[in-house]
Formats: sequence, structure tokens, C-alpha cells
Amino acid sequence: MMAGAEKFVEADNAEAIITRIEHKSRKIESLLKQNKPVEALKTALEGSSHMIRDERCKSANWIVVHRALMAIKDVEGMFSSLDPEYYDILMKYLYRGLSTGDRPTCDQCLRIHEKLTERAGLGCILRSLADTLFFHDSYFQIRVAVTWVIWSPIWLFYLG
Amino acid sequence: MASTLRLYLTCIRNTLEAAMCLQNFPCQEVERHNKPEVELKTSPELLLNPVLICRNEAEKCLIETSINSLRISLKVKQADELENILAKKFLRFLSMRAEAFQVLRRKPVQGYDISFLITNYHCEELQKQKLIDFIVQFMEDIDKEISELKMSVSTRGRLVATEFLKQF
Repeated sequence: MMAGAEKFVEADNAEAIITRIEHKSRKIESLLKQNKPVEALKTALEGSSHMIRDERCKSANWIVVHRALMAIKDVEGMFSSLDPEYYDILMKYLYRGLSTGDRPTCDQCLRIHEKLTERAGLGCILRSLADTLFFHDSYFQIRVAVTWVIWSPIWLFYLG
Repeated sequence: MASTLRLYLTCIRNTLEAAMCLQNFPCQEVERHNKPEVELKTSPELLLNPVLICRNEAEKCLIETSINSLRISLKVKQADELENILAKKFLRFLSMRAEAFQVLRRKPVQGYDISFLITNYHCEELQKQKLIDFIVQFMEDIDKEISELKMSVSTRGRLVATEFLKQF
């Protein structure tokens, strides 16, 4: 029931998110014309952690991220200016790019993946593997929160 | 060409190193049963996101992980009809002898040429690094084997044709 209510709210949000993505893509096009691919990638990756559910939002954002990724020529330089908070989201989009099967996309994604693993380590890969819908489900999160609320005072009392 | 192969294998190696974190997990539905969860897919909380790594349109690798098992499915490059037949026969030969390999699956997953199933028991008996080295080495050697087979087929065909046509 909770999940159903969430889906209803999400549908309204989806339209807002897609409008935001369209604004982003215009901004990214202008940044790419000014020869700033790293800023374009940062703009594309911002705000994507909130769109875990709706397939349309994810696809729309993927198109925008793909455009920014393919424009990057200097991978080392990109990492020196990209903040570490974007590494996890970038890894998820790299795996999406690798699943497409399109040769230039896969070449670029493989190149970036090698450098990103050197920088961010294996934990980054594991976080992208483990980020399934199950752990974003509201029912699961309520259960986790309730368990924590019930058990933490007992442990604190036990530890003194 | 060689550099994309190196990048492809590095990507697969890194993903396997991260994904091969297996532990024993008895079956939740049936008492006293212990099944590889990646094959059954009964409980979503025990499965991780499957990852598809494509090198190009022809070659790809699917890595599916769960709490106690990991399944790797490969699709090898097949440029023409002859390579198609050779790859199919060669990989079928290997799959039929899956017991000798321990980690090989007897039937490949639908859409792929060969599959490996690694369980927590394999990780306990065998070393994780060596398992990953084995799989990456396997991928390199498969391409070489199929090219060698193709070359030997065409050499033999040429010899047979030369001998046969000598009489005319």
C-alpha cells in the first residue's frame, strides 16, 4: 500500500524530472560548444541519484550522460577535476554504457572504467552492483529504521 | 584492437574481483537445502544487479552475482560461418566435460556460448585470485584456439584439394 502511494507521487515527479533533464541537456550542449566536457559531465551526473524508479527518467538522463561521456577525450584530466562524490553514479552509468553493445560507446566506457577503478577502488564497483531496487523500497527502509529504533537503546544501555 | 581486448579483460577482472564475495547461505524456503541462489532467483534480496560488459556487437560477458554464487556467461567472437561451427563444437566439447573443470556449467545460458557457475564452496577450496586468473586466461585462449582450429581446417582443406586435383 505504501509502495502504491509512492508510485502515484513518483508519476507527478517524473514529469518534473524530465523537464529538468531537458533543461540540463540544453546547458550541456552549450558547455560542450565552449569545449568544457568535464563541466558538461558534472551537470549531467547531478541529481541522478534521485531517479532510481522511473525507467523513462533513467533513459532520458542516460541519453544526456552519454552525450557528455562521448565528448570526453582526456580521461586523466577529467578525473583530476571530477569530485569523488560523482564516482559511484559515474560507475553505474558506465555499466549502462557497457551493456549497450555499441562499439564506440563501449570503447569509451572501457577506457573510463579502467581509470575510475584505479581511482575509486573495487568498493565503487560493488556499490553499483548492490544498488538494487529492493533496498530503495519504502517498506524495506521502514523495517530497517524500526529495527534500529527498537534495538539501539538496548545496545547503548548494555554498553553503558 | 589489442588495446580494447586488454581494456575489456581488465574491466572483467575488476568486476569479478568486486563481485566474487560469496558466503555460505542455506536455502530460505526449504530446510536443509543449500542451492546456488543465482540459478533459482527466488528471493530478490539475495541477488545483486547483473552486469553486462560488451566489447562490441559480437562479444559480451554477463556477470550475475548472488549471496552464495556467481554466474559468468560469455559470448565469443564469431566472424563467419566456419568460426561459428568451430566455436560451437569446441565449447560443447568443453561443456560436456564440465566435471573436470568444476566451475563450468553444463549448459550455457540462453543467448551465450559458455557459462561458469562459481559457488562459495569453490571459493573455499580454491583461491579467488586464481579463479579470476583462470577465467580471464580462458577468454584469451578461446580466441587463439578458434583461430588455430580455423587455420588447420583451411590448411587441411588446401592439402586435400591439391592431392585430389593432382590426378587431373
